[in-house]
Amino acid sequence: MSIIAVNNLTKYYGKSRGIVDVSFQVEEGEIFGFIGPNGAGKSTTIRLLLSLIYPSSGSAAIFGKDAIQHGPVIRQEIGYLPSEVFYYERMKVIDLLKYSASFFPGDHTARMHELAEYMELDLGRRIDDLSYGNKKKVGIVQGLLHRPKLLFLDEPTSGLDPLMQRKFFQLIREENQRGVTVFFSSHILGEVQRLCNRVGIIKEGRIVEISDIRTLQQNNYKKIRVAAGELNPAYFAAAGVTDLEHANGVVRFFFKGDINTVVQQISSLNVTDVTIEEPTLEEIFMHYYE
Amino acid sequence: MNIFWRELKANFRSLIIWSVIVALFVLVGVSKFSAYYGNPEMLAILDAMPQELLEAFNMRAFNLTTLSGFFGIMFTYFALLLSIAAAMWGSDILSKEERDKTVEFSLVLPVTRSKLITAKALAAVVHCLGLLLVTWGASIVAARPYDPEAAFFSFLSLQMQSLFVLQLLFLAIGIFLGAAMKEYRRAGAAAIAVLLATYFMSIISGLHDKLDFLKYLSPFKYFDAGMMLHESRFDMTFVLLAVAIILVSMAGAYATYARRDLYI
Repeated sequence: MSIIAVNNLTKYYGKSRGIVDVSFQVEEGEIFGFIGPNGAGKSTTIRLLLSLIYPSSGSAAIFGKDAIQHGPVIRQEIGYLPSEVFYYERMKVIDLLKYSASFFPGDHTARMHELAEYMELDLGRRIDDLSYGNKKKVGIVQGLLHRPKLLFLDEPTSGLDPLMQRKFFQLIREENQRGVTVFFSSHILGEVQRLCNRVGIIKEGRIVEISDIRTLQQNNYKKIRVAAGELNPAYFAAAGVTDLEHANGVVRFFFKGDINTVVQQISSLNVTDVTIEEPTLEEIFMHYYE
Repeated sequence: MNIFWRELKANFRSLIIWSVIVALFVLVGVSKFSAYYGNPEMLAILDAMPQELLEAFNMRAFNLTTLSGFFGIMFTYFALLLSIAAAMWGSDILSKEERDKTVEFSLVLPVTRSKLITAKALAAVVHCLGLLLVTWGASIVAARPYDPEAAFFSFLSLQMQSLFVLQLLFLAIGIFLGAAMKEYRRAGAAAIAVLLATYFMSIISGLHDKLDFLKYLSPFKYFDAGMMLHESRFDMTFVLLAVAIILVSMAGAYATYARRDLYI
């Protein structure tokens, strides 16, 4: 059973597109990266899964239960960190967290203090006195204190300084090792690359690729740079070659296909330098968006 | 229960503000009454006024120079004030979560939307009761210098009962608008618009026989202070009508809120 199973989920806001025909699965114990630029439909997808909004068509199941019908039951096991956190402003952090904890069975006081200490969060302050980054920390503690089985993180690192980001990633890894499944939405590819096992790429509301992050890097594209004295870039222009650039006697391009064909092409040249490397996720991503 | 208590606390400040407004209103009103009290000249002035005007402002049934008569006039203003407070609370309790963008917190907690409505509505009912008790208390205190008779207190008690029904009615309409309208900014304005529209209907319904049917549309006509004063009763038809409107509004609120997209 998949932890999240999304089937042809579609959402229109009136006539404007939210997401179209989105399908994917997230398995237990995975960290699933969900990437795409702003407005691609990442938050829409998450909000549909949390039944904050309802789909135009299609369905979604979490823990094998219909996301809408069983929303309240499902949400007992879910932690959610929205991209922008808003809490009741006139409350103190500690009261807000206790309020949140009171909705979940069991006593979560110890975990709450542990998380707050780890994230260096001052529990005595009022929500409206907090900076953006500190509100985000409240969000992290609030999202994790009831030990959820599934975490939705929507651009979680915005507002956190690099040190806190690292601590946060460490926290997510620990949670994941305990068996927590993570749905990690972001447009910052470096962090997705660092954390995730699998990624889904969403573009203009549609999924364009779902793949293992390693496969995505290894099997798809190679980033090739060739330096040679006499070089005609048209020489490399063939099927599978994209983004061909030529400057100062150096040719750069991306290649997808049987690497032997390129190696043979290169071997017939008198080259001064060759590098063949895996593109970063960012480069793959940009590729999907051109 | 936790939603109820939090809501009670969160809206407490608003209750205090409204209580001060109502208490001041009673104080100012009764201080004016001191000029009318037992003053035959005042009666002469009123008698000289056109009957239609007096009818429109519901003043014909009362002798302004007596305490009960004066509170008969006050009833209209109590009804307006308390209804405005109730309509604003009602439209606010749900829409404020969207306005303050806290829905992504409060509705991701494991609660159903109907449970949220119930808890918040109950908290608002408590606030309405609070404001009603303040109105009641302030009236009793303000009336004391005029040595009111027992009849005055029972008249006042009837007034308060009908005010409570009015509060619940406008609270329910407000909750319905807050639940149904996705444009959260307009819910409060819409609730007040409904309230003022029905209030003006109550004024013009008395002006002409052909406009008499408007009394069914205007909750402000449901409770006739004259009837309460002279016959010590309400018209049960209108009480039932009020209860029906409350039930329909709440059913509408539960049905629409559960089905609509939250505005984030």
